[in-house]
Amino acid sequence: MALTGTLTASLEDYLEAIYHIITEKQAVKPKDIARRLKVSNASVTGALRSLAERGLINYAPYDVISFTSSGKAAAKDVVRRHEVLRDFFINVLAVEEADADEAACKMEHSIPKVILERFIQFAEFVEVCPRGGDKWIAGFGYHCNYGETQENCENCILLTLEEVKKRSKAGGQKAMKKSRLGDLGPGQKGKVLKISGPGKINKRIVEMGVTPGSVIEVERVAPMGDPVEIKVKGYHLSLRKDEAEGIEIELL
Amino acid sequence: MNSHVTIALAGNPNSGKTTIFNELTGARQHVGNYPGVTVERKEGFRTYGEIRFTIVDLPGTYSLTAYSEEELAARNYIISEKPDVIVDVLDSSNLERNLYLAVQLIELKVPLVLVFNMSDMAKARGYAYDIEKLSLLLGCPIVETVGHKGKGMKDLLDTITKMAEKSKCEKTSDGEYSSTLPVFLKARSREYRLRRHEIAYGKEIEEEITRISSLLGNNGLAAGAYDSRWLALKLLENDEQLRALVSSSTVDEQVDQSISKIEKVLGETPETYIAGRRYGFISGACLETVRSTIEIRHTISDKIDFVVTHRFLGLPVFLGLMYLTFHLTFTLGNPPMTWIEDFFGWLGGVIGGWWPAESSSLLKSLLIDGIIGGVGGVIVFLPNILLLFLAIAILEDSGYMARAAFIMDRMMHKIGLHGKSFIPMLIGFGCSVPAIMATRTLESRRDRIATIMIIPLMSCGARLPIYALIIPAFFPQMWHAPMLFGIYIIGILLAVIIAKLLRSTVLKGESIPFVMELPPYRLPVLKGVLIHVWERGRLYLKKAGTIILGISIVMWAMTAFPGLPAGEAARFEMMRQEITIGNMTDEKKARRLASIENKEAEAALRTSIAGRIGHGLEPVLKPMGFDWKIGTALIGAFAAKEVFVAQMGIMYSVGDADKESETLREKLRSAYTPLVGFCIMLFCLISAPCMATIAITMRESNSWRWALFQLGGLTLLAFVLTMLVFQAGSLIGLGTQ
Repeated sequence: MALTGTLTASLEDYLEAIYHIITEKQAVKPKDIARRLKVSNASVTGALRSLAERGLINYAPYDVISFTSSGKAAAKDVVRRHEVLRDFFINVLAVEEADADEAACKMEHSIPKVILERFIQFAEFVEVCPRGGDKWIAGFGYHCNYGETQENCENCILLTLEEVKKRSKAGGQKAMKKSRLGDLGPGQKGKVLKISGPGKINKRIVEMGVTPGSVIEVERVAPMGDPVEIKVKGYHLSLRKDEAEGIEIELL
Repeated sequence: MNSHVTIALAGNPNSGKTTIFNELTGARQHVGNYPGVTVERKEGFRTYGEIRFTIVDLPGTYSLTAYSEEELAARNYIISEKPDVIVDVLDSSNLERNLYLAVQLIELKVPLVLVFNMSDMAKARGYAYDIEKLSLLLGCPIVETVGHKGKGMKDLLDTITKMAEKSKCEKTSDGEYSSTLPVFLKARSREYRLRRHEIAYGKEIEEEITRISSLLGNNGLAAGAYDSRWLALKLLENDEQLRALVSSSTVDEQVDQSISKIEKVLGETPETYIAGRRYGFISGACLETVRSTIEIRHTISDKIDFVVTHRFLGLPVFLGLMYLTFHLTFTLGNPPMTWIEDFFGWLGGVIGGWWPAESSSLLKSLLIDGIIGGVGGVIVFLPNILLLFLAIAILEDSGYMARAAFIMDRMMHKIGLHGKSFIPMLIGFGCSVPAIMATRTLESRRDRIATIMIIPLMSCGARLPIYALIIPAFFPQMWHAPMLFGIYIIGILLAVIIAKLLRSTVLKGESIPFVMELPPYRLPVLKGVLIHVWERGRLYLKKAGTIILGISIVMWAMTAFPGLPAGEAARFEMMRQEITIGNMTDEKKARRLASIENKEAEAALRTSIAGRIGHGLEPVLKPMGFDWKIGTALIGAFAAKEVFVAQMGIMYSVGDADKESETLREKLRSAYTPLVGFCIMLFCLISAPCMATIAITMRESNSWRWALFQLGGLTLLAFVLTMLVFQAGSLIGLGTQ
């Protein structure tokens, strides 16, 4: 770690590039790096030499490039910083993905570790704290786009309170149990949180009444183990298990 | 006022829409060639007061998304044909889900009447509605009905009439609906003080709607058949059909932009969000107007399901029900079959009496051997057909079919098909034609084609006569039902193998979701079932009266002409003379004469057109154990499977010299071995489906290639398999008597 602290931003970029190329196609050639970073072959050679000098990579002309163990750790660290920043920009600040990526690229080199950890903690806190949550972030996104807050503040706070009561009833702050419909057995109930999966299936499932917020109950599983029968909005619906997989629910 | 009104009946599947349709129109229906499940456009007529109603029964749909061809058909009908009134039938015991379609129709801004059907059931389940308030909220009149008891029909017709009056006034000269609020609402302000509430989709969506619809306005697209707000909304929902229709690239770009923006802001795809808002609106409206007085945890339906879809009992129950269906078809059908047989025997006798006994008049032969023998031989099986369709109709109307699909989906999925494919396959046991049409409920074309290809392997009702002829002829009583069951199972197994083959070769591709409603069990409505069975029976009789009559005559002619060459005929005549003048007892004379006549008839048949074709095919037929007579009958079977029976009847009555009433079965028994009998059934099961099936395959797959593939492939398969069975059977000695 001591060495990486003295790395320049550009050398960190090289480490990052090598890391991504290795995960993508196993072997790294200087040409790939040059193309990825949009620099000349000559400067790649110089940078590689300098990285090799610091004992971060194994490098010899015309040979494949590989990380040393300390080099790998350093690269991972850079990549992680990038990802944390990017995710924070997208998920919390509701910034567009391309912009977020670009900003993360610039900031990753200078951000101290302590502050980076705080970013992570803050993102987690927002997700867990009843005053924050997905809706709160969505509201923030709305605010950024439209320059005003959504109506219904009282309603939102009431709902939050209800949520808190429910959570404490179920035993503590983090008692909300997330699960997937596919994992539920007969007799189990849940509230739909989110539906992910290929668009067409999604649309059909939602149109049949499995909307976010609706309560569903698994009635039974077909004799051959698939599909499952669920009860939603007072009627019975059947879905295959892999379709039910994409429905995220909160266990009730 | 124009006294002719067109009504379109829309509604979710299982909402009792067809019952309402039957109740409104009675028997005055005009159905396409094959009614099947309501896939075709069914039309009915009704005169009420001085107005003549044309009622169109649209296919049952859950939404207007145009997810399947049926939904698309329903949507297109409403949009492009502009019926005067649209009646949406809802199952009021399952209101929320049913209102989803209603809300979409409301958004289409069409003259709409809501029917809260099965209101008795809703009451029994403890729901109480504030109809007045709900109709105010939704902005359209609501009529409560109990379809199967005919309750509320008068009320419904009155409401439709009022609505039609207003909607006709509303239509501008070029037939467009005015986009403002329906005038009737104002006109009948005391009764319906209704305001049409537009569902507010929230600021984000609304903004995009405005943006898109103003762009649409500039493009002049919205002015056409579509309401611009509705169209904008559908585009946001990423409706493929409409996005393809709107060919403007500026609109396309805007829509893409809007969609990605909404996704970003709301964290959901617009279609999910919009559907959620619709349901939100519905549950809001229901919260205000619906009270649930009692909570029933386990309805009778749940109890039935506990057994019928039980982990261990489900499959045996399903197989048992199928077996029972075929068993009953066979046993219950027997007595009426004997009556029909007797009737035709008597009729033949009466007509034969018009000629002197020894007359060899061609007309007599045509009437008795050709027409009565051919058509009668087919009509005999009417009881079987009716019973089978009765059973299928009951299973379908009771809601069991959906369970069958539920139980079978795992297996169907494994062979690359959809649980829903099972329903057309079951209908295929009745007739391939409606079955192939029923594949329209399948959303994926690959699934559809694969299902269409294997449907002919489901033994249809027309093949039943062949089995019914062969099985009792060759096998002991105790084997009848198992044998029949076995043949059906062979067909199913072959279908499974072929489906798997097709889906992993020519029709490769991912399978589509299995999101299907399991409707509550209901007692089938007698009227509906009877109309259904009658429709099938009528078609069968019509087929007997037209195609089969024609073919019978052609086949008879093919066997009667060109007749024996003059020299041959003279030779037989001489032999007869010899015996007549010879010195023998009368009894002996008669026997000798009969045997000569038999030989003559056989010689005549051999030289006939049919005989020659049959003979020509002999090299192909031999390996399967068939002779030229069977070959000739198989040619006829391509026209319609049941013709095989008629044809065999003709073939064997030609050689019918002695007037002892030997039945066709007995003749067959003496002519062939049980192995050949089985091979006949096997070949008829697999080989080329009838002409009607090929025609419908061509139409439904929209490709003559698939039709030819079905025809050629199945025939080849039949030949190979039958040959293998016959050769193997002969080898282990089954071929001997």
